[in-house]
Amino acid sequence: MSDGGRESERGPEKPAPQRKPGGEEFARAFVKVAVAQICESEGFQSFQQSALETLSDVTVRYICDIGKTAHVYANQAGRTESNVFDIIQGLEDLGLPQGFLGASDIEHCLASSGTVRELAQYVGESEQIPFAYSLPQFPVIKDRKLTPSFLQIGEEPPGEHIPAWLPAFPDPGTYAQSSTPNDRTTELKMAKIEQENQHRKPERSLLNLNQWLASNELEGPSSVDAGDAAKAKQAAAKAKQAAESNPFLAAPLQYGEKEVSPVLLPAKTKLSNDTTTGNPIVKYHGMDNHVSVLEAFAPNIEAMKSGLRDSEEGHKKVLLNTRPTVQFKLGSGKKYLGSMLDSSPQNKSFEVTESWFGRLNEKDDKKRRAEQILKESMGNLQELDHL
Amino acid sequence: MNQNQQQQASDGRHDDDAALSDFLASLMDYTPTIPDELVEHYLAKSGFQCPDVRLIRLVAVATQKFVSEVASDALQQCKARQAAVVKDKRDKQQKDKRLILTMEDLSRSLREYGVNVKHQDYFADSPSTGVDPASRDE
Repeated sequence: MSDGGRESERGPEKPAPQRKPGGEEFARAFVKVAVAQICESEGFQSFQQSALETLSDVTVRYICDIGKTAHVYANQAGRTESNVFDIIQGLEDLGLPQGFLGASDIEHCLASSGTVRELAQYVGESEQIPFAYSLPQFPVIKDRKLTPSFLQIGEEPPGEHIPAWLPAFPDPGTYAQSSTPNDRTTELKMAKIEQENQHRKPERSLLNLNQWLASNELEGPSSVDAGDAAKAKQAAAKAKQAAESNPFLAAPLQYGEKEVSPVLLPAKTKLSNDTTTGNPIVKYHGMDNHVSVLEAFAPNIEAMKSGLRDSEEGHKKVLLNTRPTVQFKLGSGKKYLGSMLDSSPQNKSFEVTESWFGRLNEKDDKKRRAEQILKESMGNLQELDHL
Repeated sequence: MNQNQQQQASDGRHDDDAALSDFLASLMDYTPTIPDELVEHYLAKSGFQCPDVRLIRLVAVATQKFVSEVASDALQQCKARQAAVVKDKRDKQQKDKRLILTMEDLSRSLREYGVNVKHQDYFADSPSTGVDPASRDE
């Protein structure tokens, strides 16, 4: 109270949003009501807002100062709880600027303090003006759930340096170190791998179909050389191996020895598409498409390139050579068919020759089916690459 | 002599003790304007610990006494100022009737209690504060 300058420094009105919403605002509002009631009882009819704010601020400060001084005196006497004499002592301290009865007597007993007498006099004289509202007990203190200590749980603390009265640790799962970032990356990887696997499934079934087709056709036109057949068998065996393992992983292994190339799959479908339309001119478009598809596959291994060369050579031969050689190509194509991925040149050469000979309508159901499935799978493959 | 004095003093103390306990007991019947809960809250905030309701009443009464003293002083200031205004015969009809607690009067009365309140120049109350709406229209 004696340091009233601070009051004015703070200003009678503090900006409301800075204060925490809670009991303080609530209490301040009630102090205002109480102060206004007291002022009214003194004879005031109205007030300025700032004056009321100031007076209620001072009132709050007065209560707090009484509490503080009483607390200090209690502590000085070695107590934690204040009693009447601490409060009276505090009241005397606060009343010093005004002075009170018997303030000059330093030997006086606190029980006979002038402040108490004045208070008693005031109580006797003043009329009771009860507070306008009934006030609930505040601030409301919620029951906090305390974490049970090691003792209460009956557990042994994990370390000897941890006293048993401390709150118990939570589940180890909540604080144990976890490799969260690693998990995420591995998850991503796993997701990618799964995606690839899903894309590979139709591929693999396609390969199986190719093999089946190849074996069937090998049986059909059996006019091929015995050497060629042997070669085809070898290729088929290799294809099986490749099909069993991951085809994409298998490709680089075969790269050195054989022209087994996954690149030819797209080319084949494109060409076969074109050839089904039956126009020899379209074939050239097919060639273009075929190249573009290869470009799409470009990031793949060089095995593809070799395969591409082979297929192109095959085309040239088909175009340039005479009929018997073309038929011979048919045979060799079958051999490639035997290899899992390489059924394409065979199909292609078949179509080409057919277009040469004008035998467009001679395709059997097997081929049609195979072409359809190949187209679909090619769509899948291209999607994969775009991914 | 000494013994008599001591006896008298002890009697006096006994009287004082009795008076104090009587006073505290009478506080239980007295309801101060400042509610107990409010005082308890602010006392608890300042570190005061006491389960005795009478002491809280005591603080409430002391605070009420303080506030009412300040208010009565301000009222005297207000009346004196209005008397001075009446002499000037300026706005006397408006302000004569109403007793308004203003910052000016309050700061003057608080100064006597050791509280230094200065009205801030930029902090302006409306000049028509507390005036009847009817008279404000005039």
